[in-house]
Amino acid sequence: MYFNIIHRTAVAELADGPYYEIYKRQQDLAHSLGMKTTIAIQYSDLFDETVLRDARAYQAEFGDELALSLHRLAGPGLDELASGLNPIWLFDVLKKRQILSLILNKWKDVFGSYPKGVTSYHFDSSSLNILKEIAPEVETVIGGCFEEGVRVFHGCNHSWYLFNEGMPWGPWYPSKGHSLRPAKNETDAAGVVALPHLCRDMSLSYEGRNDFWASHPPNVIRGMGNDASFCPYDLNLIDQYRMQEKFNNNESYYNTFVNSSWLDWNHNSEYPPEVSWTLYEKMLAYCSELKSKGELTDMTISEYGAHYRKQNPIQYKKPDVYWAKEMLYGSGKHYFWYIDSTRRMLFDTTQGGSIGDLRPYIGELDGSTGPDTPNREIGTFPYLIQSQYRTGAAHHYEDGARTTLLLTHKGETVDLCHYPTKGVDIIRDGGCVIFKLTPATVSFNDGLTVKVTTSIHCYDDGQTKFERAIELPSDYNSELLVTEYLKGCYGKTEYAEDMHAISLNIDNKIEHNFDYSGQEFSVSQGQTASAIVPQLNITVGLKTDNTVSESSSARVGHLFSPYYTLKINYKISKTRSVSTWLQLTNLKK
Amino acid sequence: MASADKLKKIMRCPVCFGRDIDVLMCHDENAKHYCIKCGFNGEESEVRAMYLDIKKKFHWISKRITLEEQLNL
Repeated sequence: MYFNIIHRTAVAELADGPYYEIYKRQQDLAHSLGMKTTIAIQYSDLFDETVLRDARAYQAEFGDELALSLHRLAGPGLDELASGLNPIWLFDVLKKRQILSLILNKWKDVFGSYPKGVTSYHFDSSSLNILKEIAPEVETVIGGCFEEGVRVFHGCNHSWYLFNEGMPWGPWYPSKGHSLRPAKNETDAAGVVALPHLCRDMSLSYEGRNDFWASHPPNVIRGMGNDASFCPYDLNLIDQYRMQEKFNNNESYYNTFVNSSWLDWNHNSEYPPEVSWTLYEKMLAYCSELKSKGELTDMTISEYGAHYRKQNPIQYKKPDVYWAKEMLYGSGKHYFWYIDSTRRMLFDTTQGGSIGDLRPYIGELDGSTGPDTPNREIGTFPYLIQSQYRTGAAHHYEDGARTTLLLTHKGETVDLCHYPTKGVDIIRDGGCVIFKLTPATVSFNDGLTVKVTTSIHCYDDGQTKFERAIELPSDYNSELLVTEYLKGCYGKTEYAEDMHAISLNIDNKIEHNFDYSGQEFSVSQGQTASAIVPQLNITVGLKTDNTVSESSSARVGHLFSPYYTLKINYKISKTRSVSTWLQLTNLKK
Repeated sequence: MASADKLKKIMRCPVCFGRDIDVLMCHDENAKHYCIKCGFNGEESEVRAMYLDIKKKFHWISKRITLEEQLNL
């Protein structure tokens, strides 16, 4: 596993606390454990001779990297420009350019060249492109907080306006058009390697607040995941990231970025600072132990960026996967994550392999933020499916955005989402990643039991094949209706967007605009059912795998259920496999 | 920026936190903490007891799960 430690100087920001001393203690801790750090220096600290002298000494003695931090936009000349607003991605283009020019030129005055590494909670596409234009030397950025958005907004009393959901969880090449979309090639790329701000728990970041459950011990305290100075979860998370090497060509990445204020009395913790310090120390000590065993390599962020470029050249970049196994509630839940430049998908094995989150990068939707954009503060890459925000499986009314398999026997329909499974294996086969699930045994009221084994084949061209091996009793003498089902929408938050421009299509025989009429249309022995979603510049559809279907259908929702539903129905009377493609295509290509 | 002394007394509302929302409580002259977003009020001992209740949902809060164990989880 490759590992980055980032420490922020933050002297001027925290002038009334012992924070500079804490930062130095953090530095001493990392160095005493034989590890190097990346020192993130803010603009205002570029005027502080003590900070600069110490930072240069750390660089000379330990090989630490001096990187620019854009966290706090204040200091000489900047106070007037920023007017108290800290996030670089929330200014208009003119201000972004003025601010970045001022900061980068000051950096060059101090150090003689532009930084190679720059950190921010988030970069939108325009701030990233301006950064790269002014300082082509920038190679690596910390550029987003995985799945920080709606839940953190709610959790922070609706006061934390950082919306960057739909991004990669690990290192990526941001595209020019949308910084959170992995670039498809060099031409499409913004020219940097981006790293996530912290590594998040890939189960709990989907189910709840992502900020609690990350490579940041004081945030785990904030989430109450510790028992005073005892918090095995911090180390469990490290090991879960290490486990991903097995599924990702022997590579995994982890970082930690704990600002000194989190290691003092803090309004997000009901414990004294000794607790957060002890847990921070334990986490780094474990990483040091792994290093001594040859199982972890510490680097600075730019060193890692260079390594990533060499190991994963953009033209040969393989999909990344993550096998998440929940490990705090003890639920036994597994999630499979998949990402390439065409899409990001989450498969919920506890719901029989339903898609819980789908981001269709293949539409290459551009997106920057700022008051001069229609997106304003919402930097999120939009979803087609988000089952946490948009209902998912039904519980008190209709279901919402999700996929599933429905089985109908003698008028009774059962939903595979109610039959928990787990992951069995992840297999890479050329350009395809295959996720294998344990079988689900489905029961009907008349005593019939059917075994369904799902495997999901993800290809790097935007196509996904759901293969369902359906085992019926040998003496089965009825017909089982098997329905592959997709209910979609689009959006960035939990609220419904305007669906009017969407149109539904079945086999090019029926086309119907989304008019909120609640109507359903069907074609006998149809092969396809699709939705054209111009808002995201994509078509999403289901297609049979050259098998004769009973029918395919599409339903327009209504204002109490604003979704489109696509179905392919098959009738089977004996054991067999049914395969259905979920296809994503770019509308303009 | 709040001083350390002030931060030492700050606690989050256990009812709001049960909904994953951080709300800092105020405290009155009788050392009672009260929430400005919901009706909860109580003494520190009661608040801390409720925090312990919140943690009960984390059945594996004390469980170390090594890499080898996670592979078979």
